[in-house]
Amino acid sequence: MKSNVRTLKRVENIKGWFLSGPYWIFAAIFFGYPFIWLVVLAFSKWNFISPRETVWLYNFVKLFRDPMFWTVTWNTTRFMLYFIPMALSLSIALAIAFARAKRFKTFFAMSFLIANVSSGVAYSIIFTQLFSTNGPVNNFLYNHFGIFIPWFSDPNLAMFSIAIMVTWKFIGYYALIFLSGLQAIPKELYEAAEIDGATKWTQFWKITLPLLNPSIVMVMVLAITLTFGIFTEPFMITGGGPLNSTQTFMMVIYTDAFLKYEPGYAATMSIVAAGLSFALILLTRKLIERKVDFA
Amino acid sequence: MTSRKKFAQNTRATVFYTIMFAVSLIWLYPYIWLFLASFKPWNEIYTTFIPSHFTLKSYSYILSIANQMGYPFLRGLLNSIFISVAVTVSVVITSALVGYAVAKVQFSGSKALFNFVIYQMLFPGFMFTVPLYIVVRSFGLLDTYAAMIVPSLMSAWGVFMFSQSFKSIPNDYIEAAKIDGANFFWVVFNVMIPLSRSTMAIVTIFTFIGIWDNFMWPLIVMQSHPKMPLAVLLAVFNKTYGSYVGPILAGSVIQTIPMVIIFVIFRKYFLQGISMSFK
Repeated sequence: MKSNVRTLKRVENIKGWFLSGPYWIFAAIFFGYPFIWLVVLAFSKWNFISPRETVWLYNFVKLFRDPMFWTVTWNTTRFMLYFIPMALSLSIALAIAFARAKRFKTFFAMSFLIANVSSGVAYSIIFTQLFSTNGPVNNFLYNHFGIFIPWFSDPNLAMFSIAIMVTWKFIGYYALIFLSGLQAIPKELYEAAEIDGATKWTQFWKITLPLLNPSIVMVMVLAITLTFGIFTEPFMITGGGPLNSTQTFMMVIYTDAFLKYEPGYAATMSIVAAGLSFALILLTRKLIERKVDFA
Repeated sequence: MTSRKKFAQNTRATVFYTIMFAVSLIWLYPYIWLFLASFKPWNEIYTTFIPSHFTLKSYSYILSIANQMGYPFLRGLLNSIFISVAVTVSVVITSALVGYAVAKVQFSGSKALFNFVIYQMLFPGFMFTVPLYIVVRSFGLLDTYAAMIVPSLMSAWGVFMFSQSFKSIPNDYIEAAKIDGANFFWVVFNVMIPLSRSTMAIVTIFTFIGIWDNFMWPLIVMQSHPKMPLAVLLAVFNKTYGSYVGPILAGSVIQTIPMVIIFVIFRKYFLQGISMSFK
């Protein structure tokens, strides 16, 4: 009996390592090995060709003295200040509308979600055209209101225009997350509030919003992660301009590593960017996460 | 009294649905505009919404003339299909097998494996772009299909999704299959995967769309136009021939349509995936 158990255990061990072996090897090559390179690069000065030179913390010192780093940090902050309030309020409103709609549910959900599966390159091209100087949006604004908006050519506006595009792409997705949050709220709470004479407005602020907290945290984390990864839109539409107002971390990492041949500096930038996004996520959780009790 | 109340309710419903349809149309507008514009005569792209007549000029330009200029878009489309299908098939199969090891095999490394998968998912992908480029370069894979396919062949997220789904399947199913003399490959492919069909659909769709839409990585590793996926070829063409708006819009339609079709067919799983993958 005892030896039986032992052989069974051995069989399970062989099976487990056999099945997961390829994964460990794959992860060692394409996760572990790049990870080591990431650390090595951050301490190195190198141009891909000549011998690598270890410079220890030089890249970090250089980074914090680099005006571009501060420009990008400011741009990223601005993007979040535009994008997160817009995306949160619109997607919560949309989720409430989805919950209310009895008919045409699929059509509504599809209209908003189809934006989400649009290819990054294609939708950047569409919005470049729609928002271009003589594009349909400006034609409409000029014909009806006599105004004209330089969406992507004004340094104060370009990042906001990108935030509008990203909002267009993501609110359907976020709204579905909020919808499943809404469906988890017990109906009895609203009935009780109704009996107490609470208006719809009070119900929204006192019941809906507090109980949506887990979904809000989730969407904020997704939005922060997305912000630090933005590349396709500025690359395709503005090239980081005008006046570097749409440079993002990914744009700078791309430029430094593959156009200026400074992979060490680019690796440093990516470590710092990842650190910032982590810190921001932790801060968000600390500030807004509440224990939600449905009882 | 009741009829007045009913009237008020009806009015409210009408207003609600009117607004919802209007907003939905605003959200669809960029797609509709793109689609119509790709069939317009070139001088009407900005001036009309509905074209005076439909023409395939933009499509014939992007598919044949651009090809003669060194931008083979048809080939780009086939490249995208090839790369996305290869990665998706591999990710689904390997994720199911490794997920099975995590969820159902009691071996000495199973806890470590699960923790490692979670650990991997903590790191944002962009951290690895530069070092991964150096790794791929040191293997001599730059400007090959392998550069776009091999680093994505397995996915921590896929393993995680399958392992979570497999954990909820009772062991009795596995025992029953084993008594019938089935080996674990048979168990995974004929018992576990059919029982977690929606997880498989979610991993398939999100992996396929992720690779199809991947832009930065192929932009970095690919140089020669004939091997580029559609997204990168379109971006490169757009940089050089940005004034050929019609053909570029036709290219965008070709680039977007496959994803829209997949989305419309698998919308049920897509909706499930959104509410499931983050719980």
